[in-house]
Amino acid sequence: MKPISIRFSGFGGQGIILVSVILGTAVVTKKDLYAVQTQSYGSEARGGQCQAELIISSERIDSPTTHQKDILVSLFQSALDRYIDTLKPEGTLIVDPKLVNSYPRDTYTVYEVPATETAIRIGNRIAANMVLLGFLQPMLQIVSEEEMQQVIKEQVKEKFVDVNLKAFQEGLAIAKDLNPAWRN
Amino acid sequence: MIDKENNWNQKRLKTGVHFMLGNYAAVEGALAAGCDYFAGYPITPANEISERMSQRLPEVGGVFVQGEDELFSIYSVASAALAGAKAMTATASAGFNYMQEGIGYASAVEAPCVILNVQRCRGENFATHADVMQMRWGASGDYETICLAPSSAQELFDYTLLGFNLAEKYRNPVIIMSETTIALMRERVLVPSYDEIEIVNRAYTDLQPDAYLPFKAEENAPPPMAPLGKGYHTLYTLNYHNEDGSIEWDPKGYDKLYKRITGKIWENRKDICRTEGYLLDDAETVIITYGSEVRPAMDAVRMAREDGQKIGLLKLVTVWPVPEEDIREVAKGVKKVYALEMNIGKYAREIERVCSRYCTVERITKNQGIIHTKDEIYQAIKG
Repeated sequence: MKPISIRFSGFGGQGIILVSVILGTAVVTKKDLYAVQTQSYGSEARGGQCQAELIISSERIDSPTTHQKDILVSLFQSALDRYIDTLKPEGTLIVDPKLVNSYPRDTYTVYEVPATETAIRIGNRIAANMVLLGFLQPMLQIVSEEEMQQVIKEQVKEKFVDVNLKAFQEGLAIAKDLNPAWRN
Repeated sequence: MIDKENNWNQKRLKTGVHFMLGNYAAVEGALAAGCDYFAGYPITPANEISERMSQRLPEVGGVFVQGEDELFSIYSVASAALAGAKAMTATASAGFNYMQEGIGYASAVEAPCVILNVQRCRGENFATHADVMQMRWGASGDYETICLAPSSAQELFDYTLLGFNLAEKYRNPVIIMSETTIALMRERVLVPSYDEIEIVNRAYTDLQPDAYLPFKAEENAPPPMAPLGKGYHTLYTLNYHNEDGSIEWDPKGYDKLYKRITGKIWENRKDICRTEGYLLDDAETVIITYGSEVRPAMDAVRMAREDGQKIGLLKLVTVWPVPEEDIREVAKGVKKVYALEMNIGKYAREIERVCSRYCTVERITKNQGIIHTKDEIYQAIKG
């Protein structure tokens, strides 16, 4: 496979780091691929800018970061403003429309994923990150849905497993709704 | 003393493939080596090592202590090692300063222990190789350091395990030179199975207490240790000590002691030093580097090779002692060597010292709290 680089960006408390860890864990432990995750965040427990980069490849990964990402996920306006220039011109931009008001359309493929709204509707706003993971599932198609669900169960606290799995399913449904090619 | 034949706890090894934080990988490597004592004082970006040790050591019957400071941590680690433990501490640059006195002590009393230093920029959690000389020269007095430089989470596992084995073999502190880049990176880490792990344990004396001289050793070799609580009495002091451990000054004895303490490392460097060559066979120029800088350098070498440039790479697994023979061998066959590092240009002096008789040396340095990109290195080597 061609290496894929994804940047998740938002503010602390949105589960930005965790979503990158779950995706990385899934591809490394379920598919024997290589992945490198790097991150930065402010010293605040919640709030403050936060980003994680994940590179996935079938080959060993040397340079741990890439200059230009294939996918940028932004869950906050200031995060998008800061990182939009690191997205490839032909890259994919995924935003939460409730938290990102303006973004350049340019040459990007853009998906508006109401992650936070969906998570609130199903019972817990902290599951917005799993809505995004569900959305990415048919786009990336690296591990199976079952494998991803298994990793979610392993990685999140027991009392939050159900809401996270539900959020993952909601994200899958949004993806299939927005792009007919992902319905199978 | 943990050894595989006796009280080995299967929980030590999480055999299999993981997506693991670099700091955690170092902990798992230590546990695989038999580490059963850890003391440390909080400091970023090394905290995840203490955090995981505090969870993992009790699971395997080991002891975790949060020290009141770095001095306690290093001295308790040296003491635990002398008492029979496989002991480790971890810190970051500012904390590593405080530990120098204890490292000098551990070197003088020949305490086999492991110190992991996650280098950071002064007061900031950004990546750097600024402490590379301090690894070797931080403490006062005569000593030699064994210092290993991992470039990935996997190597944090592998080299921490190797570090314990070298510490045991040579009765010397071993420093794992980590850095923010790899400490806070998550990566694929393969933890091997029980049968694939080689463990070295220190040599113990077979003499009775009345015949045992604690610092009597072969030339360029460590003395065998005595088990604690079996009637052997040893004074472990920083002061000059005679073969029986007494501290009456003897100028010739002092000379002999420190020839042995430094010689056991330096004269055994062929056994200790490790390097890895990449595309060296037909190379006309070579990048010599260590730590995380190896990674973008590998990409840059591939890019330059695509242009037809005959360039290779020598990765220094062992930074101290300087793997002089391997570096010299490379220098003899090429026109130019690039000394690549993430600081103002420090280890470059060592490379220049070894290479400049044979070829030119050009420095490629970056001191901005982040590793070189492959493009930056590619531009620098394009010629």
